[in-house]
Amino acid sequence: MSDWYSMNVVLIQTTLTTLLLALSIQVPLRYGVFSFAGVGAFGIGGYTGAMAMVHGEWSTWPAVLLGTLVAGVCTFLLGLVVQRLTGLYMGMATIAFTLIISVLAVNGGDWTGGAMGLYGAIGEITTMHIVLAVLIVVAFLAWTEYGRRGRKVDTVREDPELANALGIDVNGYRRLSFLISGLIGGLAGAITTLLRSTITPSEVNFHLVILALTAIVVGGARSWVGALIGAVIFVWLPTFLSFVQEWEKVAYGFIVAVAAIYLPNGVLGVVKDLWHKSRTRDERARVAVGLQEKS
Amino acid sequence: MQDLLNAATLGSIYLLFTLGMALVWGTIGILNFAHGATFMFSAFIGHVVTKHTELPFLAVIAIAVAVGAVMSTLTQLLAFQPILKRSKNQHAAEMRILIGGIGVAAIPLAIAQRYTRSSPFGFRSSYDAEVYQFLGLRITTTALIIIVTGLAIGIALTVWLRNSRQGLALRAIGVDAETSAGMGVNRPALALGTMAVAGGLAGLAGALLTFHLGAIAPETGDTLLIKAFAIVVLGGLGSMLGTVLGAYILAAAETFVIFMNWGTWVNAVSFGLIFLILLVRPQGLLGRKEVRRT
Amino acid sequence: MSRARMRTAVLAGLAMATALGTAACGGSADGSGTDGDGGVATTITIAQVQDQTGAVAYAGVGAKEGAELAVEEINEQGFLGDGVTIDMEVFDTAGEIERASSEMNKAMGNKDVMAILGPTQSQQAATVAPLVGRQKVPTVFTQAGAEGIVVNDYTFRATPPMESYYEPVLDWLEAEGATSVSVLYNATFPTFALLGKDSVPEWAEERGMEVVQSLPVEMTTQDFAGQAQQIASKGADALVMLLIAPQSVTALGQLQDAGYDGQIVATSVQAAGNISEAGDDANDLVYPVPFSVAFTDESSVAFTKAFEAKFDKSPNPYNADGYDAMWWIARAIKASGDSSREGIQEGLQKVAAEGYEGAMGAVTFDGNDARVPGQLVRWMDGKETLVN
Repeated sequence: MSDWYSMNVVLIQTTLTTLLLALSIQVPLRYGVFSFAGVGAFGIGGYTGAMAMVHGEWSTWPAVLLGTLVAGVCTFLLGLVVQRLTGLYMGMATIAFTLIISVLAVNGGDWTGGAMGLYGAIGEITTMHIVLAVLIVVAFLAWTEYGRRGRKVDTVREDPELANALGIDVNGYRRLSFLISGLIGGLAGAITTLLRSTITPSEVNFHLVILALTAIVVGGARSWVGALIGAVIFVWLPTFLSFVQEWEKVAYGFIVAVAAIYLPNGVLGVVKDLWHKSRTRDERARVAVGLQEKS
Repeated sequence: MQDLLNAATLGSIYLLFTLGMALVWGTIGILNFAHGATFMFSAFIGHVVTKHTELPFLAVIAIAVAVGAVMSTLTQLLAFQPILKRSKNQHAAEMRILIGGIGVAAIPLAIAQRYTRSSPFGFRSSYDAEVYQFLGLRITTTALIIIVTGLAIGIALTVWLRNSRQGLALRAIGVDAETSAGMGVNRPALALGTMAVAGGLAGLAGALLTFHLGAIAPETGDTLLIKAFAIVVLGGLGSMLGTVLGAYILAAAETFVIFMNWGTWVNAVSFGLIFLILLVRPQGLLGRKEVRRT
Repeated sequence: MSRARMRTAVLAGLAMATALGTAACGGSADGSGTDGDGGVATTITIAQVQDQTGAVAYAGVGAKEGAELAVEEINEQGFLGDGVTIDMEVFDTAGEIERASSEMNKAMGNKDVMAILGPTQSQQAATVAPLVGRQKVPTVFTQAGAEGIVVNDYTFRATPPMESYYEPVLDWLEAEGATSVSVLYNATFPTFALLGKDSVPEWAEERGMEVVQSLPVEMTTQDFAGQAQQIASKGADALVMLLIAPQSVTALGQLQDAGYDGQIVATSVQAAGNISEAGDDANDLVYPVPFSVAFTDESSVAFTKAFEAKFDKSPNPYNADGYDAMWWIARAIKASGDSSREGIQEGLQKVAAEGYEGAMGAVTFDGNDARVPGQLVRWMDGKETLVN
């Protein structure tokens, strides 16, 4: 067990940080906002954390906190500016935001280390720390998913006009989604960066957007559980595909396409369906038995 | 002046690449993220074929167009159609089509990367570009061909969508898929045809761009994809004229940045510009008002 | 059971236990890597943790071939003593930083792995460098030319960083009579950013050459028509072109179209046939390389011959990287007489202090970091020739 753990500790940590990144994209989607700003927040959080450690000689946790907060504030401000946009227009604007962050990092001179990025930000982060951070985030998100709050969020997404009519402050919710997304994305960026000790501009790119989006859609878009499933799948998939060697990327593409075709609600959807079926089968069986006994 | 000419060439490259994507996205509502891979793989097949036999210009173009059309049709048949069939409505399918496209795109990319070891590839062709000079301006034959083809196809598509019966049917799908189906529009067949045309355009762009640049890399398609995405949104979804405008605006902005020698700010300036235009016109330059509520 | 027979049984048991113990020692007892009790194991496992797939797979795949050749030579020669063999295990980092750190972690977690050939991409290497220091596994990087990689006693680099052998290019340009230079560089590629922004202008000025223009571009720049025209209109005597492979093919063609006729100098990225797609446009291109088949050093020629015999193709600089790195490790084991991780680490430093003759010619070291004089080659009709 401990051997397995020490061999795979990086994969475990990566799963957790990928989960955070995926959540930062999933939160706005759940509010019906097609925003990819979470990836930009990832960059802001990572760079802020690394700069605080490298230039400011801050210690690990204050640096992570600063990265999270700065990313949250920046993303919230972005949300104020772009909240009028809809659908993929919002998507494009937030992708533009993410790419601009990357260009700023390239041109940031000594502050951001230019094209070479920053290195030597060696944070004191253990797997336990990340698990704790993830638990806090997930607990908060789970709290927003259930009961009245969950239904309100669903209404904001599925029928904003109805939500308005019910007296729900739709725009307020949307702005809130930017703030949450920014905070989670920033946290993911800061933890990832201080864990690796480096960050470079080329990491904050479109591929990160695609990774997060794929994880959510394949895992399940409506709940944090789906994001967790997606993160696990995409971080561990290469390990299981290593037998196909150089065809790994082909197999990866195939699996993603098949998942998109056959799993309309992601892996989580399938699991829920099965669970539902098995439960109702018992129920149906009981009803049938009851009927027989009566007759 | 020379810079305007450069901007026109660059804009036409973007336009050729974007037209196919804009066509399917604006009419049948499919945002095809495998478009870049189709583009690259058409050129790649051209490369593999010309490695064995030297071919004239038009033959290479024909191969690339055919490969693009076939790939795109297959993508539609094997991935997008099944997704649409399994979705309650277009809106529910949108995200899965996006991801399906990403998955499909990974396959040709991996094959080309493996075959070329990711080094750049070009064509072995009897075609040799010449340089023309007039009024102190310099332009190559390839650039000239790209400008003419780009503009011609852009305008032809605009006119065709406006005036032909099929164009009307396509635009009808773009506005309201269900009602138009009720009015007798054969959606799957039209969708398949549109995807084939778009794939052919991707192939054409792939071949012309490879001739123009000398060589492309397997990753070239990805870079263009994000720019094409930006151009369609900038011009306004569903408007071909908007796409034409968007392509030249983006190219003009980038050429301006190069002219000012702010080379490392190209992406920031072009995406900043898109950002600003969206703030002023949330549905793009020539886009129709968003019909959906979200 | 009689007393005598019992004693024999015990003795036999003891003997067997001893034999087993020895065998275990010979096999992998050194595997803990920290005891440093000396001695060379019969099988020494070296991990290659480099890109085998992805956008820059050519560097990792190339190094793998070179290292395979070195392993074959080392084992056949009995370089480390009779029956001692090196075993190479390949891990694919797939062009991703996360994969690099997880594959490195797997390799380091395997107690049989005594040394590692580390990632070729700077960003991957910089991420894993602190890890190998913490886990005390000697790691030899190839390529990975950026700063922040050779940062502790366990990080070594077999490929000299480009800026360490680029200066002679300016000497050559000066000797050719160039008085003005243009610089076109990819400012998002770390090595080129450093060279193009600071080093090259500085070196040019020291030699009394004027830098008439400096044009940075991005990784995503694909069309160079604008830059080519600007360069042609300034008409400097020489152009220093620091671009990645696909970009340089395009830029060379468009410079030709724009009518630029000055001398163009490039980098070792254009070696390994990466420029061949540019056809005639690439003729007369000059660039410095740490290795080329045109090299005439005895050790380089020997490598080229052996490589051609094994793989039936000409070696490129990436092949030379892997070959030299693997031989460096073998020499290290011999120098310290100890194949444990500690032993190899000490050995690598010992060998570095003296330098060696490898595929890249005479290699010397600045600390743990390799240096070669490098040589200028000219590309002409698909072949490299030495520039004198």
